[in-house]
Amino acid sequence: MEAMVKKYQQKLRKVRDEINHWDDLQSCLLSQFRNAASIIERLQVIQDSKNYGSLNCMDDIVNAVLTKQLESLEVILVSLKKTMEEFHGIVLSIEKIHRDSRQQIKGGSSKPSVKQLQQRVGIKPSLADCLDGLMVLCDMHHSEYRLKASVVSALSTLTFKPSASDLCALQQLLVDQPNIPKDEGMHRTQNDRTSINSKKHMDKA
Amino acid sequence: METVDDSPTPTPACSSSDSKPPPSPNPSSISSPLPPSATRLWRPAAQRNLRNQWSKLASQRQQWASASSSGKSHANSLVNAYLSQRYMPSLELGVLSDMAGIRKKACRKLFKQQEIYRSKVLSSYKDMVAAVTQMLNASQSMRCFLKGTSNSILVQFSGSSEDQNDTGDGGGIPVFVFWSISSHEELAEELVQMFKMELMLKRLLVLEFLSITCEVPQVNGFHWSDELYPGEFDHLRVCNLFSEETCEPVPPKLMNLKSDTPVVGCNNQPNQEVLQVYLTTWLAEVNINNYRVDEIFDVIQEEMHVRLK
Repeated sequence: MEAMVKKYQQKLRKVRDEINHWDDLQSCLLSQFRNAASIIERLQVIQDSKNYGSLNCMDDIVNAVLTKQLESLEVILVSLKKTMEEFHGIVLSIEKIHRDSRQQIKGGSSKPSVKQLQQRVGIKPSLADCLDGLMVLCDMHHSEYRLKASVVSALSTLTFKPSASDLCALQQLLVDQPNIPKDEGMHRTQNDRTSINSKKHMDKA
Repeated sequence: METVDDSPTPTPACSSSDSKPPPSPNPSSISSPLPPSATRLWRPAAQRNLRNQWSKLASQRQQWASASSSGKSHANSLVNAYLSQRYMPSLELGVLSDMAGIRKKACRKLFKQQEIYRSKVLSSYKDMVAAVTQMLNASQSMRCFLKGTSNSILVQFSGSSEDQNDTGDGGGIPVFVFWSISSHEELAEELVQMFKMELMLKRLLVLEFLSITCEVPQVNGFHWSDELYPGEFDHLRVCNLFSEETCEPVPPKLMNLKSDTPVVGCNNQPNQEVLQVYLTTWLAEVNINNYRVDEIFDVIQEEMHVRLK
């Protein structure tokens, strides 16, 4: 049974790596989103030749600036999409780890009893704790991914009717990551050091 | 270029050293006007020179990018300080409003900040002028001329022509794989042209940024015909961006568009939207087609089998 728990700790470490990657992607996503939002915000101003002051001595300047900005926006939107794909990859990977772990217990040759599942050896967590922890992590990231995906798709619909307050609210949603509570996991798996570590990493997000 | 098919003499058919032969569709069919021994030596020298010049172009492109981006952030700070000063009278100061002369002091400070950022914007502009000058220089130093007589035992090459029959392009033969010197020159010129156009657009923006002020009575802002720093016009002359006719820099225009509209005097107190457009225009670099620039460098790297940067 102890060997089994060790295996689980390994799996949780893998999850922690995925979550670290998530954090990196989060800061990447935020900067891409901010860049896109600032272009969208100024689209109206740059469409009006009244705002071009002495630049109006150049023919076609409005069109040229607008075209360039739309091009940059396009590029940013494409990279946002790529970032979202990477988030999806993380979610899939955590889900797979969770599925495999459950499989090992439910479908393995040595089917542990309920008592064994809840048994603790020293300071190590029980198998049930590990499984629960994995499931929670899985759910959190899955829901957060779906939230992010809908925020990003809302961004492109805002392009032609921009509203500063909407952009701001969307950005706040991305920053907050409401599906990944910062302290919750700490109480649930107090005895699982690996799991606690992984939560800590998550908190940085 | 007339092909020299009847005589193996080293005299090329070109009459003057600055007439460029048109890029030939099949340059390998042209026989080099240099004696075979010199051609054998010319090629490595020409290759070395081209690698140098292209790597200068690549590094000056980076210089431009960093000057442009620091210019953008200085302009940004300048605009912020200006707007803060402008809105100072209507600013709600809360408990601070009891302090004597606080608005005046704040304005003073913001004014000082603007001075600093103005000089920083100007120095970024100076860096951009320098980058373009260097680029132009590299694009015009792609030829490789035989030094001394071709009969001497020691064959040397240089960047300047000594014999007016020597066009410096090895008779139009491909230097690396496919491309003659003049094809290299064409690409480099296309590249430099974009940066030259953008430089003039940046100059107009710099002029606007230098002119904004909250001070009443308003001092007259800069004019297009003002020299922004000592020696600026000489630098612009080198780049062919100074019109001797009108005695001022050529007016800014967009790539591929004609524009003879003279630059009108600038407004010293532009509103927030106009300033935002100026900053966006600075950022957008409308005259530089980055896809094309990357493409040019990619093509060249492939041709020369080197990595630039």
